[in-house]
Amino acid sequence: MNTTSTGIIQKKRSLTLGWTQNITIIFKSIAKKKGGLIGSIFIAIMLLCAAAAPWLAPFDPNEQNILQRFAGPGLTHLLGTDYLGRDTLSRIIYGCRIAVLVAFGAVSLSSIFGVFLGVVAGYNEGKKFDYFIIWLFDIVRSFPQIILALAIVAVLGPSLVNVVIALAFTAFPFYGRIARAQTLSVKETDYVKAAEAMGQKPIKIILKHITPNIMAPVIVCLGMDMATMVIWESGLSFLGLGVRPPTASWGIMLRNGYKYIQVSPWTIVWPALAIAFSMIAFSLFSDGLRVALDPKERNR
Amino acid sequence: MGVSHHGQRALNKFKFVHHALLCGGKSGPPHDMAVIKTKIKEGSKIMLQYSFKRVLWVFPTLIGVLLLLFSLTYFLPGDPATAILGPRATPELIEEINSRLHLDRSMPVRLGYYLKGIAQGDLGTSVWSGHSVSSLMMEALGHTAMLAVTTLAVAAAIGIILGAFGAIRQDTPISGVVTVASLMGVALPDFVAALLLMLVFCVKIPILPAIGAGEGFWDMIVHLILPATALGIGWVGYLARLTHESMVDVLEADYIRTARAFAIPQKSIAYVYALKNAIIPTITVLGLGVGKLLGGAVFVEIIFSRPGLGKLIVDAVYARDFPVLQGGILVATVLFVLANLLADISYGFVNPQIQYD
Repeated sequence: MNTTSTGIIQKKRSLTLGWTQNITIIFKSIAKKKGGLIGSIFIAIMLLCAAAAPWLAPFDPNEQNILQRFAGPGLTHLLGTDYLGRDTLSRIIYGCRIAVLVAFGAVSLSSIFGVFLGVVAGYNEGKKFDYFIIWLFDIVRSFPQIILALAIVAVLGPSLVNVVIALAFTAFPFYGRIARAQTLSVKETDYVKAAEAMGQKPIKIILKHITPNIMAPVIVCLGMDMATMVIWESGLSFLGLGVRPPTASWGIMLRNGYKYIQVSPWTIVWPALAIAFSMIAFSLFSDGLRVALDPKERNR
Repeated sequence: MGVSHHGQRALNKFKFVHHALLCGGKSGPPHDMAVIKTKIKEGSKIMLQYSFKRVLWVFPTLIGVLLLLFSLTYFLPGDPATAILGPRATPELIEEINSRLHLDRSMPVRLGYYLKGIAQGDLGTSVWSGHSVSSLMMEALGHTAMLAVTTLAVAAAIGIILGAFGAIRQDTPISGVVTVASLMGVALPDFVAALLLMLVFCVKIPILPAIGAGEGFWDMIVHLILPATALGIGWVGYLARLTHESMVDVLEADYIRTARAFAIPQKSIAYVYALKNAIIPTITVLGLGVGKLLGGAVFVEIIFSRPGLGKLIVDAVYARDFPVLQGGILVATVLFVLANLLADISYGFVNPQIQYD
């Protein structure tokens, strides 16, 4: 009796915690581990670069200075210049914008779309709609992801928005599968049964009672996917099928570096380092996030 | 004959222990063989049913893939013929392309033509070169298959050895090597690794060829080194970490403790009884690896100018050669679907504990 009442009180307390408090708890738990802390700091640096690019960058990223082309690292141009004499450091800082934009844009688009379809399919388990959605997921999952993204960009034409759409389209079934599997277990819980018994509408049950309770694995997946999206954006841009030049993107910088690989090694090394840096950041952060959202591992 | 009664009993006992350990201690209470036998029978029946369903499910999925590929041309903004030929096309050329690709017909008729062609193994002809798409595919597929198989085989061998050895002998620097390798794998996507390798080994210290696939056996091997390293470096780290983690788990399992209690040599415990169960997760990711490798091969083949499937697809995108693009994606997808099918089914056979719904 005593244990049940404390359980209820604890549950009530956790329910009364606001979003901000929940997020603070999660962040504290990520920062407790060394890897999570480093990852968070790296991501904070990336976000800062993306937000404050015009103030942080020493030069205009598109300002050309042909006389100074292929300059090595030096005092005026800290990281050197590219084949048009544009400042590499400024272009890398501006490149953060594209990376962050694509990572967050593609991941949120695909997760919203995928989770919604997955939850609705899971809620209607065994019905025709469920099978149709599974079929849809399996079709998209059949393609090697980057090749499908390539095809979609080829059809829609290369641009920032189309890259986000293509990447989101290739990733949504993975969120859908997770959301569906989670929904199957959550919909059998007492609180969902109670809501059904009270005669709540299915859409309200889905949005209010199921979706918030299946988000933990989805959020872990979000963290890991962001790294993938950054890679693929630069990959597509490297192939000339992503963001259009002269926009500063790490992939485009690599493309130009590849063209002039014989002349100046620095034009490849710096964007490669920027990508490596962001990969490590996202990977450490998502690892910390996974531990923070898993109650079993959190208290280890 | 030569074995005494006592020796025979000892041998039987050894056989039994050996069998139980190979099963990873999963075979249940050892005294009730009848129960075990019926359980195994039931299990294999469930496995067969699952495999059958899994194989059947491939067909509707592939039909969906064909529909999606077909609709890609349909979703082209504007007129497909103009999109293929570019803005300076003459009306005659547009008409020719339209009739060649059946673009002047209605949607269902075009879909019919498309499916009929696929059923006959005809993937159409390239808009530009006039070669049949299937012959282009066969040529390119060999190069990509060689690259993918070499990469996966070498990476799996190195990764499993590193991971297992690091878990068994924790005092050696191997686990440090594994950590560095997996960090490299995380930090360097395959195309970035390819560019850096090219920079170091083709430009700065020019000892390895930068372009092409080579001719003759040794030349081909030499041409494979850099692309396979670029593709495989991440896999070595990933597979090593995976094997390491699962090996550490398995070495703590009860049946390994039992093996130690039977005074079986440490080496055979580790490499025979533990490794067999520890590589199960590694085997499963290899199936998924085929898809990632096909994707990664796109970049690596472009960077090292290897005439493989990935380069064919990207070149088709540049040239707006839609029949080649559709055919290339179809071939890559079918390969990926088959690899996943194989991985799913083999997983069930390697790990009988898995539950299916």
